[in-house]
Amino acid sequence: MSTEAGGTAVLLVGVLLVRLVVTDTYQRFVQVGMGPWLLAAGVLLAALGLVAVVRGLRAPATTVPHQDDHDRDHDHAHGDRIGWLLLVPVLAVLLAPPPALGSYGVDRSSGVTVTAGGRTYSPLAAGGEYPMALREFGERAVDANGASFAGNPVELTGFVARPDDTGGFRLARFQISCCAADAVAAVVRVYGVATVAPEQDRWLTVVGTFRGVGPDGVPELDAAATVPVDAPVDPYE
Amino acid sequence: MVDVPVRRRGGLGLAVVAAFVVVAALAQPWLRRVLDVPAVANWSTIFVAVVVQASPFLVLGVAVSGAVAAFVPPGAISRLLPARPALAVPVAAVAGAALPGCECGSVPVARRLMGHGVAPAAALTFLLSSPAVNPVVLVATAVAFPGRPEMVLGRAAGGLLAAAGVGWVWSAIGRDDLLARARRPGHDAGSPLATFLATAQHDFLSAGGFLVIGAAAAATLQTVVPRSVVDAFATSPWGSVLALAVLAVVLAICSEADAFVAASLRQFSPTAQLAFLVVGPMVDVKLIALHAGTFGRAFTVRFVPLAFASALGSAALVGWWLL
Repeated sequence: MSTEAGGTAVLLVGVLLVRLVVTDTYQRFVQVGMGPWLLAAGVLLAALGLVAVVRGLRAPATTVPHQDDHDRDHDHAHGDRIGWLLLVPVLAVLLAPPPALGSYGVDRSSGVTVTAGGRTYSPLAAGGEYPMALREFGERAVDANGASFAGNPVELTGFVARPDDTGGFRLARFQISCCAADAVAAVVRVYGVATVAPEQDRWLTVVGTFRGVGPDGVPELDAAATVPVDAPVDPYE
Repeated sequence: MVDVPVRRRGGLGLAVVAAFVVVAALAQPWLRRVLDVPAVANWSTIFVAVVVQASPFLVLGVAVSGAVAAFVPPGAISRLLPARPALAVPVAAVAGAALPGCECGSVPVARRLMGHGVAPAAALTFLLSSPAVNPVVLVATAVAFPGRPEMVLGRAAGGLLAAAGVGWVWSAIGRDDLLARARRPGHDAGSPLATFLATAQHDFLSAGGFLVIGAAAAATLQTVVPRSVVDAFATSPWGSVLALAVLAVVLAICSEADAFVAASLRQFSPTAQLAFLVVGPMVDVKLIALHAGTFGRAFTVRFVPLAFASALGSAALVGWWLL
């Protein structure tokens, strides 16, 4: 790879990272806290690439002779030609942006049956309606068999992982700790009013009360309202 | 005489970019339709995610590598290390704890150390210990295993032992001739700044290219192999240790995040979880691609089994002693 060709590839990767952060699309792939690091890396790479392109274009006029030029070029050509592969993820994001993880991965990740993790929850105060992460719902469900809900309605947002799940449907949301490669899904089985058809992978906000834990270990909810929503910018919990 | 080949290769690069643009423009509708297949969408999300999350660490790694090439005189680092490999190896293992990054960043740094005259056994020890025991990774482990400091201690001890073990074995029977390419000194591009820029760019492109191959392999395995295959081994004491060691290789999770995944694998024994934490930063599918690209295939087929055996043995030993 010549200096300017390699610089172009580096520049493209840098611009892609900046673009992912600016458009918030990066949240589909990595945890939100990574944003500043991605931005810094993108700016540095774009600068590195830009300098290489400018120097490469100017090089014919100001070429510095190298004693070991043949050896150097040989090593370069074989060492970094592989760098063209970096254009594959760049093009993937620009042409066919990958979606957030969806229902396909839910049944394939382990840890679907949530355990309390040793946490105990204090009861929710009566009279409220509580927005809650699916993971927390699952943890409260197995903590003293859901006593901490105290009959209060909760609001859950996730996507439909199974449209038909023993009379209800299955709602899911992924948790990630670094990137989508380490995602683990929390799931809830929802029974009750079908104001909208629970299509696979459709995002829904469900309001309802805790029903129990199914024989398969999946916590269950009796829904009072089901509202379709847009996929959130940060699709993970 | 110098300008002609440079210009011709520049033309090739331009042709490659142009070809990419044309193919991309024609293939875009088809590409978008392919994403309607859930398995393909899942694959592409994980593929891009691995590349994106590794890139800041790779940038840190090539910045260190470029700085070593440009601003550290050759031989200076090897003079800091004990001359005898038996002593240089443990020193290099502890020194690895100083570079806060994940495994992708340490590959170009280790290569640059070899180019600067550091004995390969010591540089390889650094390569393995840096992602396994650096402070960021240990803090992440402490957060992922609240109230269980023995996991942090076990990870540090197991990581250092495994890295030093590989270094000692390599200094006794390793073949340094396989590393001739990596041991060549860096390119002097004139001024230190120019050397820094040239080295950083070269290292980013070569490591990044192989990272893409590794990310594709990890995404494929995650999409194709169901986790239940691994869970089937959870009940057997030795089977569970081996199963999680293999899972660490297959998943290729960054060493700063793997503790959270290990903590979620509650159906496995603590020793098996430790094996996951010790093996993952040293051997995984994305690292194998990076090693093969940076140090050569002949080296990788010898080094990877050695590192895997050393990591697995160290984890089992430390687990039996501590957990």
